Amino acid sequence: MNLISKDDFNDFVNALIKDESWNVIGVKAKGSKFAFGPLESASELRLDYDVTLLPPKKYFFPQRETLFTYNLAGGFSAKNPAEAKPTVIIGVHPYDIVALFHMDEIFRETKSDPYYFKKRESSIIIGINIQKMSKWNFSTYMGAATVDYGYDLMLTDLGNRYSISVGSKKGGDLLAKYAKNVTGALARDIQLVGQKKREIFNMAQQKLEFPPELIPEMLKKTYEESGFWEEHSEKCLACGSCVLVCPTCYCFDVKEETDLSLEQGERIRTWDGCLLEDFAKVASGENFRATRPTRYRHRYFKKGKYLFDKFGFISCVGCGRCSSNCLPEIANPVNLFNDMYRETNITGTQMAATTPEVNIHTEGNIDYVPKLATIVKKVTMTANETLFEIRLDDNAELGHKPGQFVEVSVFGIGEAPISLSSSPTNKTSFEICVRKLGNVTTKLHMLQVGDKVGIRGPFGNGFDVNFLKGKNLLFVAGGLGIAPLRSLFNYVLDNRKQFGHVSLLYGCKEPRELLFGEEMEALVQRPDVEYRAAVNWCPDGEAWTGSIGVITTLIPQVSFDPQDIYAIICGPPVMYKYVIGDLKARNVPDDHIIVSLERRMKCGVGKCGHCQINQIYVCKDGPVFNYSKIRGIPEAL
Amino acid sequence: MQKPRVAFFDFAGCEGDQLQVANLEEDILALLGQVDVVSFREVMKEQSDQYDIAFVEGSCTRLLDEERLKQIRKNAKIVVALGSCAAIGGINCIRNYKDLEEVRRTVYGDQAKLFDTYAARPIDAVVKVDAYVYGCPITKEEFLQVVKSLLLGKKPDIPTYPVCVECKKNENVCAFERGQNCVGPVTRAGCNSCCVNEGTICWGCRGLVDNPNENSHKEVLIKYGLTVDDAIGKFKLYFGWQEAKR
Amino acid sequence: MNDMNIDIHHVTRVEGHGNIYVNVKKGIVEKCEWQVPEAPRFFEAMVLGRQWNELHHVTSRICGICSIGHTLASLKATEAAMGITISDQDLKLRKLALHGENMQSHVLHLGFLVLPDLLGVGSVIPLASSNPQEVKTLLRLHRLANEMSNLLCGRTTHPQRLIPGGFSKIPSMKELVTLRKKLQAAIPDLQAVAKLVKALAGKLPNFTRETEYIALTSPDEYALYDGQLASTDTGKAPVNEYLSFTNEYVVPRSTAKWTKHNRESYMVGALARFNLNYDKFSPWTKQVADMFGFKPVCYNPFMNSVAQLVETVHSVEDCIKIIGELENDGLKTQPDYFKPEIKVKAGRGVGAVEVPRGILFHDYTYNSKGVCTKANCVIPTNQNHANIDLDMKALVPTLLNKSQKEVELACEMLVRAYDPCISCSTHYATVHFV
Repeated sequence: MNLISKDDFNDFVNALIKDESWNVIGVKAKGSKFAFGPLESASELRLDYDVTLLPPKKYFFPQRETLFTYNLAGGFSAKNPAEAKPTVIIGVHPYDIVALFHMDEIFRETKSDPYYFKKRESSIIIGINIQKMSKWNFSTYMGAATVDYGYDLMLTDLGNRYSISVGSKKGGDLLAKYAKNVTGALARDIQLVGQKKREIFNMAQQKLEFPPELIPEMLKKTYEESGFWEEHSEKCLACGSCVLVCPTCYCFDVKEETDLSLEQGERIRTWDGCLLEDFAKVASGENFRATRPTRYRHRYFKKGKYLFDKFGFISCVGCGRCSSNCLPEIANPVNLFNDMYRETNITGTQMAATTPEVNIHTEGNIDYVPKLATIVKKVTMTANETLFEIRLDDNAELGHKPGQFVEVSVFGIGEAPISLSSSPTNKTSFEICVRKLGNVTTKLHMLQVGDKVGIRGPFGNGFDVNFLKGKNLLFVAGGLGIAPLRSLFNYVLDNRKQFGHVSLLYGCKEPRELLFGEEMEALVQRPDVEYRAAVNWCPDGEAWTGSIGVITTLIPQVSFDPQDIYAIICGPPVMYKYVIGDLKARNVPDDHIIVSLERRMKCGVGKCGHCQINQIYVCKDGPVFNYSKIRGIPEAL
Repeated sequence: MQKPRVAFFDFAGCEGDQLQVANLEEDILALLGQVDVVSFREVMKEQSDQYDIAFVEGSCTRLLDEERLKQIRKNAKIVVALGSCAAIGGINCIRNYKDLEEVRRTVYGDQAKLFDTYAARPIDAVVKVDAYVYGCPITKEEFLQVVKSLLLGKKPDIPTYPVCVECKKNENVCAFERGQNCVGPVTRAGCNSCCVNEGTICWGCRGLVDNPNENSHKEVLIKYGLTVDDAIGKFKLYFGWQEAKR
Repeated sequence: MNDMNIDIHHVTRVEGHGNIYVNVKKGIVEKCEWQVPEAPRFFEAMVLGRQWNELHHVTSRICGICSIGHTLASLKATEAAMGITISDQDLKLRKLALHGENMQSHVLHLGFLVLPDLLGVGSVIPLASSNPQEVKTLLRLHRLANEMSNLLCGRTTHPQRLIPGGFSKIPSMKELVTLRKKLQAAIPDLQAVAKLVKALAGKLPNFTRETEYIALTSPDEYALYDGQLASTDTGKAPVNEYLSFTNEYVVPRSTAKWTKHNRESYMVGALARFNLNYDKFSPWTKQVADMFGFKPVCYNPFMNSVAQLVETVHSVEDCIKIIGELENDGLKTQPDYFKPEIKVKAGRGVGAVEVPRGILFHDYTYNSKGVCTKANCVIPTNQNHANIDLDMKALVPTLLNKSQKEVELACEMLVRAYDPCISCSTHYATVHFV
């Protein structure tokens, strides 16, 4: 441990400021509060602060960030934003340091986010032990009031001097280069630091009435208690304040902006929040978390259960920002969890969830920049649906698995997730079936053969074709659900001998909404496929020789051994309950039922939060799910 | 391809939103590269009844205004409500809560009967509106975003969340923490919390969000020291028409 | 002598709507009227029952162009009613704000509304292709004026920073110094515009009618923010006696009220200010007026536009001077989100401010709780309507040997010369055929 006088510390900071190769950030006063901001002089520093308005995550995951710029004129070009300037952030409290640790794991998991890490790697964190604690702070309960890691330098205020713990080589080098008169700490200083750290534990004014390890199990027990959630969320203004100031929140939205020439633009990401009304709304208008109680509950579950199940930590550091910013005073986790503790009446013996097996692996970087592709064929199938055949401009194979999806960009408008509709057997191009619904799909319908689009992906888990080989398959497609199923179905037909008995049940509202009409008719002729179709009704003047009725009326017409059949289902949200119900009535086991689900997917890689159903991300853990795994997930079906 | 023809109209308003269009400065030239302005009474002598997009500023405050509005709707493919007076009724709605007879007498004395008026209302109370640019005044950025969206054939991206989102992103100290009060939590965002950024509060000029929790916010206002009447009064400043509808 | 039948509804290139209605039969002017049938706004009723700290926010919405002026007049009235004084520094900053508004409005008027007439085109839009340099110069000046307003007030239309007792946020000295540099750099642009107007000045009709002019006046400076009332006919009076000057009355064919003082009408605006306060201009500013042989008292309403040009030059010069004073005194900073402590009490106050179009009055009465119980606003354009009407009545007979189109243009140019802001009272007109 080292020592530096406060005057020498100020000189150190001023020396950094003077050296223009550094961005020097520190805690300053703002009105009656505090905020991290650029320093023009060390005299602006307020290291005696209690909490900043926004956490330092804004320097690594900014409120608004350009993912790439594009220029359509004279050939397409996309540029990733520039390198991050080296930054020193002075005055970070331990709970914010712990929060950055959480964020690091989250942004590294599966696909690493280079935008975040570029900034993380080029910055130096100078932490300081808490001197004043806000009355909402409960970091002492969350193990985040003091910290032994995660900083490059850590200060403790000892009156006329600071003690400095060096946490990394970067930190030590910075100190050596810019600071003068740094001495070694004496024993009395080390004892004083210990005393200061102990005092922090007396500062907490919030009181959690139980050990926080109980939280995941408590939450599990309370999920269905709608009365509890309704009562606590009644006053919610859906203002998003609680999540926007949170150091461990990371949901974001992705938008497209153009200039007046309409040829140049950029794709940006901005902070978003699950408490906001339209967070889980999709283009068709359906909102998967439309009510205040469901959104309010989701936040606590994400922090206290879903992230715990995945990473083994409760994703809350107790900084208290959410509580202090909530005008109707309903966002305080301490109050909520104390209430929950009283209601669930859980005791110490019943309770702490076992810390899960955590396996964080990284498979390379997320790529936010699409690849350029060309429309090579366009077939209008119905009034609202068009089939596009697309080839990547670099002639690479998309290399997708059946059941995956791509993010299709129409530059200037935006990006939309569309299921792949073709089998990967065709390596030179792929097909997507697009329903005209929102901005991107409407514009896509106006494009012609030869026009350019952007493609990212393929994303999602896809069907496990190897597992399905040799099995008897029952495909159940409702409406547009045929589009993603077709990618697997055609793969099966391409490799017919490798699969057992194959049936396809296809239901639509009326005959003119039938997709892939010619292909379907050809199926009728095939002896190695059992194909049945039904429409809800057949208006006058339309020809229809198949069944009339909802799709479930076709299920009794298929004979199968329930132990020996695998059902693969895709259709509108309302359909699943009935189809699965009918299958289960015929004793089909849960793990023989496979579904493909839809949600609003923006990043495609399980980060932005929009497609999240309870603890799973549809884009990453799905869209294909085994029913036995999601049966217990309330928001799924 | 012919550039879309654009026309500007005004009803009962202060013309501040049209001034924001004039305040585009050099961007006006870029804008003229994408559209033809065929009617803009404030800056042009020429007029035309042949236009594709009509921007309408100001509220409808008289029966005789309705005729003119309906004609504009007939002529235009797209009608855009420009500014809060046209979009939500704006500040003109304050007087809807007063006895209109009394109002006319206060201003015009015993000649009041010569001046016809009825409850001020947004233009969508009279005609169908295709897009909205909220704000008192509008911001140039949002105006351009709506124009670009219309040109690109996409739905303009107007927030459905409240001003608090932008205020927090801008790291403002909440008005309530400063001993003031604010209707940001129930007001539609999209202005980038510009008024709080300038050191004051949100007055609600962009109108209510789609599903505001009004009772909760009125309770907040009262908790922070307003009387019940004052809290109700705050909602009457810009939300007069929207609240009456709810 | 031609028979003429002129009805111009929605006079173009003015704020708001007005009608011109002329009928000439056999060389006799049977009817010559200026009508203002605009949708009434009823602001004086809307503010009743609202709080003292809300009025400036509401009355700002009377006008989008003179927002800063309305807000300042409103604040002055409230501050007068409650005995609130503002600091010297805030006074200087408010003067800068008002200059910004004047500059923005005058440049817009000259460049976008008047210039097309002098160049024989319908609007500034074709000028963007035919005279790109001039249009870019005007846009640059207009943008600079807006930048100034944004810096001082937050934004030009409905300025947020102007609050009772001062400012919620003030610029830094660094920002003011940068502004000063930009103002200094704008001088060549100003000179170019002056030359342009001079080259076209011959197109302005040579029409005069002896008129009473009313404006603020001050012994210390060219009065815009503070001063006493002054009339070219009757001399000075305190602002509190404004009612004896304005004498508003209702006219059937106008939803805007009209005014009169010593004569049947009077004029306010840049020309009125020029005529009353010319001696307060610096020699440098007077040089610009000399280019046109322009000296007080000038009775030609068309010269109002030239008076605006001279005022713009003065504004730029005065802003540079004020910023210099702030620099010398040192700019006192204030906390973020500043809100002056105000002791609320009952009272009545009148705030008068010169806005681009003329003198503006706000008059409020508050009860002890700070609630407004009475309000009166007299808008500059209200005060000009009668004068426009009488000017038109005097102008038309002198033009009877011209074509109907020429007479129409002359009448429209007359109205435009006043730079009326009819939306502050009403707008929109209907066709009236004789």
